[in-house]
Amino acid sequence: SIDMLMSSEKEEDPDVIPEDSSLLTLRIRKKGLERREETIIVDRACRQETLAYEMESHAIGKRPDNLTDLIEEGELLLTLNIFYPVIFQKHKDHKPYQTVLVLGSQKLTELRDSISCVSDLQIGGEFSSQPDQAPEHISKDLYKSAFFYFEGIFYNDKRYPECRDLSRTIIEWSESHDRGYENLQSVKMEDYVFNDLSLKIGFPYLYCHQGNCEHIIIITDIRLIHHDDCLDRNLYPLLIKKHWLCTRKCFVCKMYTARWVTNRDSLAPVDPCFFCDVCFRMLHYDAEGKKLGEFLAYPYVDPGIFN
Amino acid sequence: MSAVPGLKEDCEELLGAFQQADTVRFERFAELWRERRFHTIFYGRIRALERNKLTKATLELAQKYFLPPYSFQIRVGALYLLYGLYNAQLCQPKQKIRIALKDWLEIQKFQQDLLCSQHYDAAYIFSRLRLARAFHFTAMPKLLTYRTKKKIEENYFKEEFKDPSNRINSLITNDVLEELMNIHGHYQKMKCVISANKSQPDKALSLIKDDFVVNLKDITLEHQEWQQNRMKLFQNTEVTDETENKKKEEALLESEGSERANALARIKYRSYYAVAEASKSRRHRQVQLESSEARSSCGKSPSQSKKTSRRPQPARRRDGMQVAKETVTRHIGMPIITEENSDE
Repeated sequence: SIDMLMSSEKEEDPDVIPEDSSLLTLRIRKKGLERREETIIVDRACRQETLAYEMESHAIGKRPDNLTDLIEEGELLLTLNIFYPVIFQKHKDHKPYQTVLVLGSQKLTELRDSISCVSDLQIGGEFSSQPDQAPEHISKDLYKSAFFYFEGIFYNDKRYPECRDLSRTIIEWSESHDRGYENLQSVKMEDYVFNDLSLKIGFPYLYCHQGNCEHIIIITDIRLIHHDDCLDRNLYPLLIKKHWLCTRKCFVCKMYTARWVTNRDSLAPVDPCFFCDVCFRMLHYDAEGKKLGEFLAYPYVDPGIFN
Repeated sequence: MSAVPGLKEDCEELLGAFQQADTVRFERFAELWRERRFHTIFYGRIRALERNKLTKATLELAQKYFLPPYSFQIRVGALYLLYGLYNAQLCQPKQKIRIALKDWLEIQKFQQDLLCSQHYDAAYIFSRLRLARAFHFTAMPKLLTYRTKKKIEENYFKEEFKDPSNRINSLITNDVLEELMNIHGHYQKMKCVISANKSQPDKALSLIKDDFVVNLKDITLEHQEWQQNRMKLFQNTEVTDETENKKKEEALLESEGSERANALARIKYRSYYAVAEASKSRRHRQVQLESSEARSSCGKSPSQSKKTSRRPQPARRRDGMQVAKETVTRHIGMPIITEENSDE
């Protein structure tokens, strides 16, 4: 009976703002709507908006098939913003970021594995003479070291023998003179879960991989898990927001995303020039696969590749 | 979260009307809500993503009124408002109300108060919200966003909603005054001891006013009264703009409300009014507690007085509008502290 006091009796269309409303909010909104109707020809969600909404809500309410994967009550849910390393000038005011939800009982290594950064996929080396051998070793496999920095402690990834302690340089530097940084420590990332950490909300922390690719991490929220959240442990860390980056297209066909970039190319109108795989081979190699003209070619991974 | 234009005004208008109704009954709130058709606040062709953001911002705004330092009645009004907004929202699944850890204790105390003062409808609403799992229990009250704001929003509280800030009273509390009296007494005794005449201190030793503690207490009380009068003046200036109908409606309601109010418990926010009690040695001059601000829901506060004479009540709504008109023209300035001659 309490509920009935709230809602209206007759059928109402929530899309229509009532004419004689006494609420200021509605009056303002109505003006905005009318303005939209005048200026916009087709009023529907663009694909970025659809994507953003999908990402935010796709996992809501999910339950696992296997009951051992069910998240228990009292679990903490952290919301992290992981910023992209600066690439473009246009991003200097609003740095793009992705938002990830992480459980308190998850290990730091799980978060590290879930961060997808374009620098992980880079392939080093000049491949103009052997274009078919290019995608052999991506940087993710070659340089496996990474660390997180939270509250004065470096958490290094030491799961593989190739991983090096990247934070050692920093610690040695801070200890060499009295620079005012106290007590920096270095520990193993795989030994810790998020519940063990002491964190500040809103304070920037660091994730560094590939030796010099640095991402700022900011924790925006910590809360208890809720009945309506996704309760499938396997889906975490869960990506709920990603920045949409426009991909560079091939210079020739303007359709496919660029996979090669050339420098000092006698056949290309600009330096550097981007090509998709097909156009690249058609232009630079003859039917037998011999190199035509002088150029340097590098495999290119576009930052927008995760769209 | 980005602000929803016009929402703050609408909420404050509703809460203001609720405050003036001088009751905490849910039926009254529901009437006000239905009058304004507040559930339409989410209407308008809004797409899903925008709607989520909007609802979150709305709930966050309403949640602010639910916590201290707002007065009891406003907090109950905010509880009802949250209940209404939570149920009226169009998002599927529903957006939740964020409560920070540090505020949770306050809210539990609030719930206890509701139960003690037998405001069962408010307590019922609160338990309904909890059953519906309407809360997110978070570490911090505000979800952070990282867009550079075009202008920094100022977080100002509407004056009338707040309990008058009693910084003076929190500084000069019972304990402080009693200690001062004790120290003063000791000081006087010491002066007597070292002076020639054992029964009273030397004239050369009198460096302070003897009854400064009592004066201090009086001044504090005056300040408190002045503050209350000022608040009432603010509220009454609004009242004079209202129409006849509202008057009649409220007269009716008050007879109802006052019945219930009288049947219910006493004021629990005694803590906001630190009564400056004179120490035991001066019991005959004990202070009277003025009744709390007119907007209290629980009815009259008991005056802790040995003397029953009340100072003239500031204009209350029950006396009708005529009194209100008078107070508008009266100018209330800061009370002037008169200098006394020092006693020996």
